[in-house]
Amino acid sequence: MNGVPALELRGIRKTFPGVVAVDGADLDIFPGEIHALVGENGAGKSTLAAIAFGEVAPDAGTVEVRGSVGLVHQHFELVGRLRVWENVLLGREPRRGWRIDEAAAHRRVVEIAQRNGLAIDPDAFVETLPIGVQQRVELLRELDREPSVLLLDEPTAALAPAEIASFFETIANLARRGTAVLIVTHKLQEVIDYASRVSVMRHGAIVARMETAATNVDEIARAMVGGELPVIAERAPTQPAPAVALRDVRVPDAAVPLRGVSFEVRGGEIVGIAGVEGNGQSTLADAIAGMIAHDGTIDAPPARGIIPQDRQREALVMPWSIVDNAILGRQHAPGARKRAREDAQQIVERFDVRAASLDVAVRTLSGGNQQKVVVGRALIDRPPFVLAYNPTRGIDVGAAALVQSRLMEARNAGAAVLLISFELDEILALADRVLVMYRGEIVGETAGAAIDRVAIGRMMAGAR
Amino acid sequence: MTAAILTFVVLALIKATPLIYAALGGVISERSGVVNIGLEGMMATGAFTAVSVSFATQSPLLGLLAGILAGACIGLVLAIAATRFKVDQIVAGTGINLICAGGAAYGLVLIYNQPGASAQVPALGGNYWLLVVLAFAAAAVLSWTLAHTPWGLRVRACGENPRAVAAAGLDPLAFRTAAVVISGALAGLGGAFLSIGELNLYSDGMTAGRGFIALAAVIFGRWNPIGATGACLVFGAFEALQYVLQGRVAWLSSDVMQALPYVAALIALAGVTGKVRAPESDGVPY
Amino acid sequence: MKSVLRERTLRGPAFAIALIVVLMSLAMLVAGTSPLDGFAALFYGALGGRTEIGETLVATSALLFPALGICLAFRAGLFNIGAEGQLLVGALFAGAVGAQIHLPGVLGIVLLLGLGMLGGGLWGAIAGWMKAQFNANEIIATLMLNFVAAALALGLVSGPLKGPLATGAETAWLDPSYWLPTLLPQTRLSIGIVLALALAVFLNWLLKDTIFGYDLRATGEAPEAARRSGINVPRMTWFTLALSGAVAGLGGAVIVTGELHRFNTQLSPGYGFTAIAVALVGDLEPLWICVAAFGFGILEAGGLAMQASAQVPKDAIHIIEGLIILVLAARRYALRDTGVNAP
Repeated sequence: MNGVPALELRGIRKTFPGVVAVDGADLDIFPGEIHALVGENGAGKSTLAAIAFGEVAPDAGTVEVRGSVGLVHQHFELVGRLRVWENVLLGREPRRGWRIDEAAAHRRVVEIAQRNGLAIDPDAFVETLPIGVQQRVELLRELDREPSVLLLDEPTAALAPAEIASFFETIANLARRGTAVLIVTHKLQEVIDYASRVSVMRHGAIVARMETAATNVDEIARAMVGGELPVIAERAPTQPAPAVALRDVRVPDAAVPLRGVSFEVRGGEIVGIAGVEGNGQSTLADAIAGMIAHDGTIDAPPARGIIPQDRQREALVMPWSIVDNAILGRQHAPGARKRAREDAQQIVERFDVRAASLDVAVRTLSGGNQQKVVVGRALIDRPPFVLAYNPTRGIDVGAAALVQSRLMEARNAGAAVLLISFELDEILALADRVLVMYRGEIVGETAGAAIDRVAIGRMMAGAR
Repeated sequence: MTAAILTFVVLALIKATPLIYAALGGVISERSGVVNIGLEGMMATGAFTAVSVSFATQSPLLGLLAGILAGACIGLVLAIAATRFKVDQIVAGTGINLICAGGAAYGLVLIYNQPGASAQVPALGGNYWLLVVLAFAAAAVLSWTLAHTPWGLRVRACGENPRAVAAAGLDPLAFRTAAVVISGALAGLGGAFLSIGELNLYSDGMTAGRGFIALAAVIFGRWNPIGATGACLVFGAFEALQYVLQGRVAWLSSDVMQALPYVAALIALAGVTGKVRAPESDGVPY
Repeated sequence: MKSVLRERTLRGPAFAIALIVVLMSLAMLVAGTSPLDGFAALFYGALGGRTEIGETLVATSALLFPALGICLAFRAGLFNIGAEGQLLVGALFAGAVGAQIHLPGVLGIVLLLGLGMLGGGLWGAIAGWMKAQFNANEIIATLMLNFVAAALALGLVSGPLKGPLATGAETAWLDPSYWLPTLLPQTRLSIGIVLALALAVFLNWLLKDTIFGYDLRATGEAPEAARRSGINVPRMTWFTLALSGAVAGLGGAVIVTGELHRFNTQLSPGYGFTAIAVALVGDLEPLWICVAAFGFGILEAGGLAMQASAQVPKDAIHIIEGLIILVLAARRYALRDTGVNAP
């Protein structure tokens, strides 16, 4: 591309205790382009974006910006208990004497929103808004400062497929008006569809730069991983048998209420629940795991393996060793403590956990290895029922492939596997049957050959 | 009869005043995200300093100002511990309380050569009523500031999500520091009212847990200056009740009645069962 | 308001001890004494002779009980500031009953110690129940209960429970059959200290080698993971606070039966608060807390001698204790959920 870059990163290096996050990265973003930055989890993309934004100082290297930089974070940095306009204008509040001029603040928010083709209620409390709309608030906050460079970290993670198209329309408008846009993402198809250039990061450095018109998803993926993608276990023929049944399960007073969910999971199959984050999946998972009260019935075998979605908060005691964590959830069974070391050994061997020893604190393991401990613990006793909630979230491709393989192997051996995931690709790769969840209800079901990404995408956005 | 009621009301207001100052300090600190367990120590420091400066300068006004300043200094210690060193705020507050209590006791020996209590010093006398009124004015000012000014908005954001404040280009630590220093100043003012407003001396342990009752008031008042003030009035009333009931209820000895305000605080704590939400980042170092 | 103290390493206590030495030297210099003289007075006052050693160990024992209780609570993620009140109530139960009823020999002693645990346990359980049921802040609750305990004790012991021959607010002397056997002849040291050390060993085992200890530590270090692993967190909360109070209450009973042989409201010069420093310096490990308690015992017992001969007031020690707590707070906060390798 010609012209002067709006953002220039040269030789960026950044180390956190024990981890080299960015190791000599160069990047140029030009005004008017939509540039994608891809790489697997742990490759350093988010860190690089934070450095470009100025949130994190690099250990070495230079950041040159012509103008200013805005960043929409992967996990929004908003104040839920404040209103939209308070969030958007925080730090730049219009004043009248000593007080904030609330009327002017309203007008300003409506104005920026309209200019970018977005709809928003300035007075709404952010915590009451659906996640997709909350993202809009953060976007508006950054746009209000009229940055010359806009960074977006995983912007479509919480959007339904239908919303993604309109999101990229907004971005395209911005680019046309001269903003340089960098999108950090792992959705390779979107990169091909909407970005003009893509930079691939691996182990903290940019290893490839491509024009999206001249490449394809597989080539980018191979560059990300540095070779061939790991293959997951094959789907074997099974004789599905009744195992788990939910009948009219309702949780009226949860954050996202469940409005009468009924389905079955049979032994020897993987049932995938697709849906955008925030449509009741957590409520469903908690109800099945017995963490919250519910109306209706859930019939499931008492022996079950549960993989929660937040390993660091919900599944592990971070300062404890692998041995101590190996029996978490099973510690009340007779003889559990004596078996802990043996169990830990088995988990480490059968789930390829890379750790210096069984006694290291789990906190020192990489995310992928932590997740392998959690998954290993859930599956080690070969339970007849497995509940996996976002089992490969935030882990590297190799670990993700292993986790998915183990889930498939459990299915092949006759377990009933319920997979709840925000990653449609994961559901499509693993599930025998796909259910779609929307606003606390199951709105559609497809199986086998009838599984169609487009139709599912429509259901995820509310169509039936 | 009316005389008794009037006495009770006046007494309740007087007893509530130091609580209100401390509670307002608690509110501003916690709304910015810092739990201030050290209010008790800051009150004691304010009380002791006010007496000692009044003793040295024979001016109760200077004593009052010194008390406020001393409280602010202790607040600064907590602020630095919380923002720069990112400590466990509750443990730090406990340490501060012990330091201040020990310091005051030490000071009593150093300055007055007698443990337990200071000499009598020039006090505010009839002017103490101004401080009572000021307490309510302060509550109103704080409430308006938090709700309607840019500074108030930013402080509230710090207590909920300091990363959002940073993303907006501001420094959450600066706001937290300011808030905690102000809370120390307010607590110091409350302490000074105890020693040279209500009385004219400092005695060991005179704060008697008021810094913690103030925290209960903060919670009971839902982290809201007006609510906290209301709660302080209730607790003040319980303290005043002691004096009114004395001698009238046979089986309640005066010693046992001393427990009244604390029991009231306990009941208040229990009463706001899960219906209240602290600021999201309250107590979490940024 | 939540706090979890983690990141315990031995560098903390070593650092704390070094800090104590430095601060005390400063205090001595301020008072116009050379640190050498001051420390000499301190150590002579604490360990110089049979009586002195006895007093030091008495203080050690008095500190060790509440410190162990506070340690238990901390490990479960709870902050028990109420050890002072729990100690007092335990002592009150033991002293009040001991003055009224007479039971023979060992049975009587066991009864009184049991009452101490009951009283302290009850006091801790009130705060525990409030936390479990109402999510009431246990710091405020336990502290309020301190004041309630003091008021109740004073009221009872000035009135209905006052000993017939007592001049102040205290119960009658306990019958000598209730006195804990003296460990060191011609001192006030009873076998209470042996009991305390045994308790430390027991609690160490409880925390490390039992499922209950596993559950307790999990609750303190990862409450959400603990909940999902089947631990009943509210029940663990109130039970831990009750247990913490019981341990402190036992300490109160030991003071009554071992040292004072009666109950009065002055029996604790703030042991419940100093014990917080002891627990922190002891790195929240029961065995190390024994060592820390001995160190603070030296400070408490030797402090009086230091005051007399080196003119450093005893209150300076409380200032130093507060500084220790403040400094150790800096080393202690570990963000509960994040790991080093975040991805």
